[in-house]
Amino acid sequence: MAEEEEFGFAPEHDAPIPYLERIRVYYQALGYGAPYHWAHYADVPFAPLRKPPADSRIGLVTTAAPWRPDKGDQGPGAPYNAAAKFYTVYSGDSAVEHDLRIAHVGYDRTHTTAEDGNAWFPLPALRRLAAAGRIGEVAPRFHGAPTNRSHRATIDRDCPELLARVREDKADAVILVAV
Amino acid sequence: MSLAARHLEANGIPTVIMGCAKDIVEYCGVPRFLFSDFPLGNPTGRPHDPQSQAFTVELALRVLESAPRPRTTVQSPLRWSEDPAWKLDFSNIARLSPEEIARRRAEFDRQKEIAKTVRAKPQAAQ
Repeated sequence: MAEEEEFGFAPEHDAPIPYLERIRVYYQALGYGAPYHWAHYADVPFAPLRKPPADSRIGLVTTAAPWRPDKGDQGPGAPYNAAAKFYTVYSGDSAVEHDLRIAHVGYDRTHTTAEDGNAWFPLPALRRLAAAGRIGEVAPRFHGAPTNRSHRATIDRDCPELLARVREDKADAVILVAV
Repeated sequence: MSLAARHLEANGIPTVIMGCAKDIVEYCGVPRFLFSDFPLGNPTGRPHDPQSQAFTVELALRVLESAPRPRTTVQSPLRWSEDPAWKLDFSNIARLSPEEIARRRAEFDRQKEIAKTVRAKPQAAQ
């Protein structure tokens, strides 16, 4: 009897996907030389929550992109579509509905089809939590963060811009959703 | 997204990240992270499953309010499927034929060119 059966172990591959390794090997095999340098820090900042969520204004940041009909196929199951990418921070009114898509990022196109925006954009869910009193309120705007391979653009331009907008909104805490 | 969370946090604003790429987010180093072991693209719950989505967002709030220290990762107990075989597919070079690798390289080069053109034209999405 295999040990995993004897002890009730899970199969070896039933663990979080090792993306760093997968992606490094993948692009090497595709013929690209220098591997991508992922952002990496030893120290991590931490801001304690000052008040409970029920008394807080909660902000939302997303990497999803507004659907733009002139930018090619962004529908469910669309192939990777770089034309739908955006390179500046954008903001949307939290009180209304939005059609945000993820065709511009490398999601798992084999095992999911991007049909339901609620699987990556929880604005309606946050509104329900506000109505139920679980959070104080949803910040008046949500913000879109570019998915940029340039760390310099992200750190020098996008991060300060997001901070400025979150401060304008007077958000007490922020949920960031990485697609 | 991890960099944005770090920047907000360094400026006094508490954050929680919701995502499906555990090693990438943890390698960067973030304050609070709700990890869903789902295929990339489903950070806030299973598609067409409002219960799963509500559970996932609630769990993110729990992480936000209860994380004792930076680098707190909580893994959602939800499973994508009973069979974990889906985890073997994503960008797995061992599963691709030489023809498929060549096709993907050509497509990647094409998309890179498109991205360059988009980036060169400053535009506000909204």
